[in-house]
Amino acid sequence: MTASNESGAHAMGGAASDGPSVPIHLRPARETDVPALVPLLLRLKRLNEEFDPLLKVRDDADEQARLLLRGNLADPKSIVLAAEGVGPDRDKVVGFVRAVVRERPFYVPEQEGVILDIYLLPLYRRRGVGEYLLREVSAALKAKGAGVVTAEFPAQNEIASRFYLKRGFRPITAIHARSLL
Amino acid sequence: MAESSAAPVSVGRETRRRSAPPAAERSEQQETDAFGRRSVELSAFYQGKIETVPKVPVRSLRDFALWYTPGVAEVSRRIRASPDLSFDLTGRWNTVAIVTDGSRVLGLGDIGPRAALPVMEGKALLFKFLGGVDAIPIPIQVGSPDRFIATVEAMAPAFGGINLEDIASPKCFGILEELQKRLEIPVWHDDQLGTAAATVAGLLNALELTGRSMRELRTVLLGAGAANLVTARLLITLGHDPHRLALVDQRGILHAEREDMDELMLHNPWKYRLALRTNGAGRTGDLASALVGADVLLAASTPRPDTVRSEHVRSMARDPIVFALANPVPEIWPDVARSAGAAVVATGRSDFPNQVNNSLVFPAVFRGVLDARARSIPDEVVLAAAKELARGAARKGLSAHHLLPTMEEPEVFPEIAAAVADTSVRLGLARRRLSHDEFLERAKAMMARSGRLVRALARARLTPAMPRAPARPRPRPR
Repeated sequence: MTASNESGAHAMGGAASDGPSVPIHLRPARETDVPALVPLLLRLKRLNEEFDPLLKVRDDADEQARLLLRGNLADPKSIVLAAEGVGPDRDKVVGFVRAVVRERPFYVPEQEGVILDIYLLPLYRRRGVGEYLLREVSAALKAKGAGVVTAEFPAQNEIASRFYLKRGFRPITAIHARSLL
Repeated sequence: MAESSAAPVSVGRETRRRSAPPAAERSEQQETDAFGRRSVELSAFYQGKIETVPKVPVRSLRDFALWYTPGVAEVSRRIRASPDLSFDLTGRWNTVAIVTDGSRVLGLGDIGPRAALPVMEGKALLFKFLGGVDAIPIPIQVGSPDRFIATVEAMAPAFGGINLEDIASPKCFGILEELQKRLEIPVWHDDQLGTAAATVAGLLNALELTGRSMRELRTVLLGAGAANLVTARLLITLGHDPHRLALVDQRGILHAEREDMDELMLHNPWKYRLALRTNGAGRTGDLASALVGADVLLAASTPRPDTVRSEHVRSMARDPIVFALANPVPEIWPDVARSAGAAVVATGRSDFPNQVNNSLVFPAVFRGVLDARARSIPDEVVLAAAKELARGAARKGLSAHHLLPTMEEPEVFPEIAAAVADTSVRLGLARRRLSHDEFLERAKAMMARSGRLVRALARARLTPAMPRAPARPRPRPR
């Protein structure tokens, strides 16, 4: 089912404590955020590149990211949340989460909320922010009708794998790849 | 080579280099070549630099009933019942493994374990001659850091300490960390700890000379390899504000939002963590922007001339401290740095004043941990060695030209050994607890014995005299 052609992934830097006060302000992303979101999305895709040569980032990824984000912002099935920093980073986008609600034609629950990307700048990792983002995006997906939440990331990304396993996720679908070139 | 002839400060230097190397550098190269040829001749003559020598009397073959079976079985039984007796009833207490995979040897790069052996033999010679330590060169052929770790763990029962040597960064960090966790003997990586300890010692005295305190310092570290990552950690432990410390590498100033941060998170978490803690001002850019207003430059980068230029030094704070530690060519020549205003300059070379040299550190550190039968060697012990090394220079009088003891001031070595042993005792890491004076006397005796041994072997002609160098050009062998 999670056969998305844009393999998502996640950089939250591992274990996060559930702090009551996370050093960010989370809000739905706007059109004006796109220039700030593109570099963060590309950082995440370049991180994915470290895990597998079949995740090599395209030369025009920059433009693709812009188009994709604009499309997401216009799509009622998509969710893009922007995390703003606090203190000197106020009004600066320091991370984001991107997700989409997909139909499951054969299974119940019928609606699946797929977390495609979570990215946080390094200074915001390991401070409970990733956990907070996960909670918030899960709630937003549920509000859009999703009965299950899934996350896509490169199979070799052990940091992401640990993050989700620790929070009650388990692997249900695998995508295996072989180059045809 | 004399300092004055090393690097004439002249406007024409740049242009000359493009056509041909300056005379000083050319002769330096010739000198290096000559050392190389002679070293090969002597290696062929002596066929190795160390050997094992019995340390017990053998009056007749009957004595082997004591040294070997049947008598030795009882020794084995005792050790089996009480494993730490292996430090008292065998030579384990004074034996160190010099382990390398040959992945970053001197300036030669990844030359493999076989080619690393002559270097490790040389290290073993230094261990014995300077520290009285029996060191065994063990270059190993391993495919991965995990196998490296497993191999060293497997050989640990034979040794009182492990000296890791010439392992590429960043894998050296993980290997050292993991082995320190697993083994109950001190594990040291000289390229990290030895160099960092010597650097810190020099810096402590440079601060003294220029009337600075660690807390208010702004420091730039050029090069983010084995030595500087540890130097940064030690400085922070000594009270340096991490925010006022910046690391610079080929990609420029390290900062928490640099493009390669995610790559570092996966492949070099040690550098990644420092990127998060240091450079509080969030400076970006190159070395030039990092150095503006800095008090200290600690350069331990790849040897390339003119990496640091005089205008860089001029942009630093008043009376800046410049350590240019790349070998054989420092990042900036000392007289260039001084003309640009540097108050104190150190290099990695013995032909300039203030050599930051890990040979000042490792023989004495191992003498200390071995005499205390220490279980590990945490940063507190490394810093104790650095501080004692600094004191050693101060005892003889600090000056801009005498920042660190030289190899001709061997009286500092037993002092370092005793400081290391004391600290191991204080931290509860010592299997053997002696007083400071006892450790000091022991270290002096062990170190002096090596010199006597080498001289005695030569007098008895058991070590043949060095053959004369053949006349050049060499006659063709028939």
